[in-house]
Amino acid sequence: MLRFGPDTGPVVIAALPLFEEANRTRTFVVTILRALAARGIASILPDLPGTGESLLPTESAAMLDLERAYARVAASAAQANRHVYGLTVRSGTLLDGLAVLRGRWHLSPQDGKSLLRELTRVKQAEVGPTRSLPDYWFLGGDTAATRPVEIAGNRISAELLAILKLRTPFADPAIARRVVRMTTDPNPADRKFDSAPLWRRSEPDNNIPLSEHLADDIAEWIAACER
Amino acid sequence: MLPDDIEQIDTTVRATLRDVLGLSQTQVNAFRSETPLFGALPELDSMAVAGLLTELEERLGILIEDDEVDGEMLETFGALVRFAATKLIV
Repeated sequence: MLRFGPDTGPVVIAALPLFEEANRTRTFVVTILRALAARGIASILPDLPGTGESLLPTESAAMLDLERAYARVAASAAQANRHVYGLTVRSGTLLDGLAVLRGRWHLSPQDGKSLLRELTRVKQAEVGPTRSLPDYWFLGGDTAATRPVEIAGNRISAELLAILKLRTPFADPAIARRVVRMTTDPNPADRKFDSAPLWRRSEPDNNIPLSEHLADDIAEWIAACER
Repeated sequence: MLPDDIEQIDTTVRATLRDVLGLSQTQVNAFRSETPLFGALPELDSMAVAGLLTELEERLGILIEDDEVDGEMLETFGALVRFAATKLIV
């Protein structure tokens, strides 16, 4: 678990995207959190079950485990009389639904259906075009119904895959939510930034100018929420 | 806003290839309709194809079914643009 920033004031709980995109965005998100600390805003990047430094095997992590773990970190920060906000990225926006937060800042939220479609494509690419995908994982398969599936080096539980298509990022009009996207993304957003999506690169990368702009946006949004 | 004419679709496909494969703007500007993609661009391996298709879906607001994905649509830049245009028009 990484912590940044002051011991008082609002605190942001970050969540990386699920699976491969976590590797591609971790450095970038940490850069944003450091930039927030420079603006006087604290943050936590927890190692959710099966991710980061967690000792739990990746395939043992269920969606509910991830959501509960994120919510526990948020509750713990709230117990210390901090105002707690969410900062989640891509499919990480699927993980903050159980947390009690004063607001959610979502970067390029991705719903579960889209993620599952991409994972399906990657798995099909791995097994080759002539082999039947249901032989290798839960979708329509019999023997593989409950086995974890390895996709691009990540062992994923069948439960987590099965539940993905039902999940969408948390959105409740009564609770503050700010959606930020790249200009290349035509979906609606409160603000768009002109940059390439780092999570698509096969190698992890960083974008320090963008991280500074996003930290400004988050800091201004939190200040507005606090008023 | 979604691209709605062939020029915008061409630009979007070019930019998506640039961003997903880590190519330079100069490289993608040089793409012609007959420029070969799959099998010719080392960056475009089968894993990158998955990311490329998902990113095209997001940027163009289309849904690409698995049975529509074949070697032909990725053979050349022009074939990929035509495929995207067909999806948008349908």
